[in-house]
Amino acid sequence: MAPSSPQPPARQATSASRRAGVIPVDRWFWFLAEENAQGIALPVTLLFALLVRWCVALHGYSGHGSPPLYGDFEAQRHWMELTVHLPPSKWYFYDLSYWGLDYPPLTAFQSWACGWVAHLIDPSWVALDQSRGIETHMSKLFMRSTVLVLEALVYVPAVVLLFQSRHIQVNWVIRQASIFSVLLQPCLILIDHGHFQYNSVMLGFLLWTVYFAAREQYLVMAACFCCSLMFKQMALYFAPAVFAFLLAKCFRSPYGVRLFVQLGLVVIVTFGVMLLPWMGSPAQLQQILIRVFPVARGLYEDKVANVWCAINIAVKLRSMFAAPVLLRLAAAVTSVAFAPSCIHLFLAVKRSVAGQALVAADAAKLLCYALVNCSLAFFLFSFQVHEKSILLPLAPALLLIHEEPWAVNWFVQVALFSMYPLLFKDGLQIPYWVMAIGWSMLRSCPACPADKRTPLAVLNAQWVSTLVMVAIHAANMLVPPPPSLPDLYVVLNVLFSCAMFVLFFAYFNYRQLTLALVRVRATRSKKKDS
Amino acid sequence: MLGAKNLAFLCVGVGIKLLLWPAYHSTDFEVHRNWLAITNSLPLSKWYFEDRSEWTLDYPPFFAWFEWGLSLAARWWDPRIVQLDNLGYAASSCVEFQRLTVIASELVLFAALGRFVQASGGTRQSKIAAALTFLSAGFLFVDHVHFQYNGFLFGILVYSLAFAMEGRDLLAGTMFAVLLCFKHIFMYIAPAYFIYLVINYCTVLRTRRRSPVGGCALDIGASAWRLAKLGTAVVVVFAVAFGPFVALGQLPQLASRLFPFKRGLCHAYWAPNFWALYVFADRLLILASRFIPALGLTFVDLSGLTASTRGLVGDTSFAVLPDIPPIATFIATLLAQVPAYVVLIRKGSKKQRGPQRFIQAVVLCAYASYMFGWHVHEKAILLILVPLGLLTAAPTQRTLRMFAVLSTAGYYSLFPLLFGAQELLIKAAVLLIWVLCALALLKSDRGVSAWRCLLRAERLYVLGHIPLFIATELLPGCVFGRLQFLPLALVSVYTALGVTYSWLGLVYEFALHHSHSTHKRH
Repeated sequence: MAPSSPQPPARQATSASRRAGVIPVDRWFWFLAEENAQGIALPVTLLFALLVRWCVALHGYSGHGSPPLYGDFEAQRHWMELTVHLPPSKWYFYDLSYWGLDYPPLTAFQSWACGWVAHLIDPSWVALDQSRGIETHMSKLFMRSTVLVLEALVYVPAVVLLFQSRHIQVNWVIRQASIFSVLLQPCLILIDHGHFQYNSVMLGFLLWTVYFAAREQYLVMAACFCCSLMFKQMALYFAPAVFAFLLAKCFRSPYGVRLFVQLGLVVIVTFGVMLLPWMGSPAQLQQILIRVFPVARGLYEDKVANVWCAINIAVKLRSMFAAPVLLRLAAAVTSVAFAPSCIHLFLAVKRSVAGQALVAADAAKLLCYALVNCSLAFFLFSFQVHEKSILLPLAPALLLIHEEPWAVNWFVQVALFSMYPLLFKDGLQIPYWVMAIGWSMLRSCPACPADKRTPLAVLNAQWVSTLVMVAIHAANMLVPPPPSLPDLYVVLNVLFSCAMFVLFFAYFNYRQLTLALVRVRATRSKKKDS
Repeated sequence: MLGAKNLAFLCVGVGIKLLLWPAYHSTDFEVHRNWLAITNSLPLSKWYFEDRSEWTLDYPPFFAWFEWGLSLAARWWDPRIVQLDNLGYAASSCVEFQRLTVIASELVLFAALGRFVQASGGTRQSKIAAALTFLSAGFLFVDHVHFQYNGFLFGILVYSLAFAMEGRDLLAGTMFAVLLCFKHIFMYIAPAYFIYLVINYCTVLRTRRRSPVGGCALDIGASAWRLAKLGTAVVVVFAVAFGPFVALGQLPQLASRLFPFKRGLCHAYWAPNFWALYVFADRLLILASRFIPALGLTFVDLSGLTASTRGLVGDTSFAVLPDIPPIATFIATLLAQVPAYVVLIRKGSKKQRGPQRFIQAVVLCAYASYMFGWHVHEKAILLILVPLGLLTAAPTQRTLRMFAVLSTAGYYSLFPLLFGAQELLIKAAVLLIWVLCALALLKSDRGVSAWRCLLRAERLYVLGHIPLFIATELLPGCVFGRLQFLPLALVSVYTALGVTYSWLGLVYEFALHHSHSTHKRH
């Protein structure tokens, strides 16, 4: 047996000084590095992420045991049932009152593929009409495992590749800690594997979009974004930023026009392929459009931490204006909100192209900021927003976790808090508390006294915010709300979360507008040096 | 002791365990619920007579008192938990309560391991060994999914071993007596304790003269005084535990509950020990007799063939090889424990690394009982792995190799406990994480990681669990056709190979091998 290599003597000293102000996740990876065990870091992270997901999946889900309509779990299962047994021409028409299909075609195809597998294993899980509300142990396991498999196929590889790619210039520990944190981000796990949805697929395609942007492969990037859009129309929240980015790239002098035409072709072909089964009849296409964009539903549903819902507490907008007026109002305000970041993205990418090239890494980083700002603008100001939609701004924000550690940690904390009423309905309190405390312990700064990277003012503010959240939770548990205000705690949750999201929106906008200028100059001087 | 580092570490463990609440729980869950009801509803005199449920109280009195203590909280939490006739009660409040008691009582193990780390001088490797023990796949499977209170009980054992490491032998002995009154399965390692305490604690030597031969003599007075102290302590512990029942004249009833000798040689699923290989050899000979009549095995009686493979807790019968009476397993166990005694009695064992030797003896003692005992449960592997885990704080290369092989095989052998499709991912992910961490983070005393220590064949054996998992757990049952027992038998035999191999290796390392080099370094 070969004797081991002696340990480098300098390592202990340097690592000790570096570890002084490090959050527990980083410390774990420092530890692995010191033990010469870097090889197990990624496998252990992936296995742990898998374990946590499956453990959360043991708990309740949306509409568990609540006939006649059940919830999102039944909706997804129902789509498998109808796509397997019916021709595509009937998919968007079949019994619309019972969870009619209202997502774009890629979701329908996914349902069809999953339904096909289910049909092979046990036809009773997806028997047409007969299987409504089926919740056997095995059918539940099957549904849970489809989420796991799809996430492992689309989302997880994108996260790993993104953080291991060259465009993120941080050391090994931060890289690994970022992968760990993004994969164990509580909100997505609780919604996808608890509440039951397939958001990770849509968000996974978005991450692939960013990945290919960083690799300067714009055609693949456009195709990925089209897939995201065709999986869930909610990806439109990102569309202005992606559009601004690609348009700016088209202003590249010699090949710009060619790129523009190519991008157009890619988009048309991608959409065309996905809509192929319905291409024959305009009535079909129109029906898809109506199902996918239910503008008739109203300004917002339930209680969601966006501006309209918050304003509604004081001013009853819905009774003052008709729905079409509100739709236009929301559209206008949203456009104003996302305009600055998108215009800035466009100008920064375009100008840098004209003068000194903005390196792909910085362009991708700028794109991430713009994606956060754009989707947050939609979340706060657009029409028909769900509380789950906060997952959309979270996804690109998490890609910035190594740039903005405290802001992203905090953002995740508040986002999770804003989803509490939903998770409570699904019987997911235990996973909620475990994940919330776990995230705070491992990642978020106030919990660990050793953190020295965060400014003191931020730490204090974060303490205050944590205390407010804990106080609302405690009051919710201990004091029954007055009979005149039965939704008191939900409303408090909405108000607090909305205020925080507005602050985050301002902060990320500020960061985007100031950061890019610095970066352009920095890359210039770098160029001179080299 | 509870710094930020430990806290984060503890929280991750507790978090996963909390998330596991809705997972499968075995009949042991109802067993313990029933004990809560018995101890809460009935007077002491009826504890060991109550038999409305088939899950009668069959642990020693301290455990019954422990359940009584829990039942007070249970009554406050949900009074239906402690109703005697509420058999099979498993509402979510009951599950939450019982799971929570397991997690809370496991803190004893956490504290004990903290003590162990202190006793080993707070070295980095001892911390890693302690962490791997606390978050071991074994406790997660057996306690937090299957449902038992091993974490708490092994906490007491680790406390006792840590006291021995600190040189506080009297306390160590007393703790062990207490442990025996909690769960009598720890009798497996009682011989090691007995001999260690007699030699190390009760024998006081006095230097008579400065003679070159090393003139030492027994200091009878001091020895007798220590013997009296130890004896008193042990007697007091046992009197507290069993005294009330002796006074009630219930000792025979207690004994019949604690030692039911009605069971077969092997458990429903063969724990991977020597007898599993023996049963397997028997089955192979049956096959051989079919194809090679020349062997003269035509007299084989095939009627009892299926008994030990169909999951009945009945008697195991053999077709070719001779039947094994309980007394034979008893003698085999005693013989197999001889190396443990050798470790303790060996020359110089007292002065040089005495407590280390003691833990080695505990390991070998437990190992012998596991290998040759009557009706051994697969869960008993913890009895070997926990003390051996403590030894991995500064192991020789061979110890580390044997630990790697044994822990992989031993924890894998717990898989059949969690047989549901829902737990498939959990057990695979947990074991993989644990094995990856153990192989990469445990270092031999020369600083070589466990994986690098392993020989090629051992590496292949460890990796072989992956195809074994695919074959026995992922393939649909119909592949095996009539041989429904084959997956379980495969797991049992494959893991038994590793367990037996490690046993031989550890016996050689601890009892036979004179590692002079180790002594030089220290």
